[in-house]
Amino acid sequence: MAFRHEIEALSGQNVNLCFQCSKCSAGCPLVDKMDLKPAQVMHSIRLGREDAVLNSQTIWLCLGCETCSARCPQQVEPAAVMNAARILALQRGIKPTIKEVGIYYRGFVDNMRLNGKIHDASVVGVTRLLAGHLFDDLPLAWKLFTRGRLKLPPLPLRGGGFRKLYRRALEREAR
Amino acid sequence: MRYGYYPGCSLEGISAEYDESIRSLFKHLGVVIEDLPDWICCGTLAAPSMGRLLGLATPLWNVARAKQAGYDQLIAPCSACLYHFKHAAKRVAENPTLRIEVEALLDLPLTSPPPTIHPLELLTADGIEARIKQSVRRDLSDLKVVCYYGCHISRPAAVMQFDDPENPKSMDRLLSWVGVQVLDWSGKVDCCGAHYSLIKPDIVVDLCQGLFKSALEVGAEAIVVACPMCHANLDTRQGEIAARLGRSLNVPVLYFSQVLGYALGLPVQSLGLKRHLVDPLPLMLAKCKTSV
Repeated sequence: MAFRHEIEALSGQNVNLCFQCSKCSAGCPLVDKMDLKPAQVMHSIRLGREDAVLNSQTIWLCLGCETCSARCPQQVEPAAVMNAARILALQRGIKPTIKEVGIYYRGFVDNMRLNGKIHDASVVGVTRLLAGHLFDDLPLAWKLFTRGRLKLPPLPLRGGGFRKLYRRALEREAR
Repeated sequence: MRYGYYPGCSLEGISAEYDESIRSLFKHLGVVIEDLPDWICCGTLAAPSMGRLLGLATPLWNVARAKQAGYDQLIAPCSACLYHFKHAAKRVAENPTLRIEVEALLDLPLTSPPPTIHPLELLTADGIEARIKQSVRRDLSDLKVVCYYGCHISRPAAVMQFDDPENPKSMDRLLSWVGVQVLDWSGKVDCCGAHYSLIKPDIVVDLCQGLFKSALEVGAEAIVVACPMCHANLDTRQGEIAARLGRSLNVPVLYFSQVLGYALGLPVQSLGLKRHLVDPLPLMLAKCKTSV
């Protein structure tokens, strides 16, 4: 399947509707930090520039704020397209170009596999530890703890249902 | 009308005060909510980035259980959870083949599930205005605030179908009913940086700095929010922003449910008003002209 068709199947979006008005780039809160602007990602997909898209920082920087999707005059959701590109990059074994984002998403889903829900403090702790910034926010963590906003991990762990869903969903996807 | 309630992970942790104030407020207004049994995390952006089916089945796990429980509506106070529920529900509603695939993964049906709504949608529904107005017990007419909606309450419109995606007004209206001075400002739907607080806090500090600047320019004394992520970022990152600006900020950031509950006379303890890093109580006490 061509790159564009893979993106479209994963995102449910018709990339060919994009007429490059660049409203998505204009409204993106992180556009100044991106290597490919959102409108350039859309165009690159149409041109089949798979390597450029899947190795871009943009697809991992995208916060999913949906400003682009809200403003697109063609009702395309660029945020959904970014998400599809992240799935493809992982499937192809391309490491997330923003290391910390990859660590966070992986750690988040792993935390869900423990308990179905996430324990916010341990997701933060694991992300900060693996990204090499464990101690940056410890004073903040203490302040939150003293105000009852940082709880201990819930026990017993009850993630069995989600673990099964996770396994079955990824197996089915691989077929 | 039966309302299911999906607190989500943040409300069990960093946003405990949002959960407390929502529950107290609904109890006070006589709105009965039932906790969704056996709920899991919505998956945010993490689960959808791992796989298409995982990204849909994770939020829909909860939507399918809301249908099974027989609720008419599911209330999700976190606007990120709300978005992921509504987005996934729309995707499978538009694509029956996809729906059948997800149903097989969940072993539960997903045809016409109950809609998920933000508590603001319930609190600003037709016919409730008079009731809220006549329940006011504390006069907050000296309090000047801006309402900050963030990303997902109304955006994108095709998914959320609530309020205006560029200039939402539901929270403004609700707080003006109880007498609060709600100021117009340009930051209503700008992004706070969300989970980048854990990944690249500098980005959150950049984005939140812009929000504080806009809010203070119009004379706001507090920022009122409707999303746990917005609250966490604005409440916890003020020290770094103040250091950059070379001035103190100390701007209280409150949930709409806390301001509303306070105006309706609920006790401070039941609204979690002592859990904030920037203590809102001095401002609330100073601005409150009558007490109960």
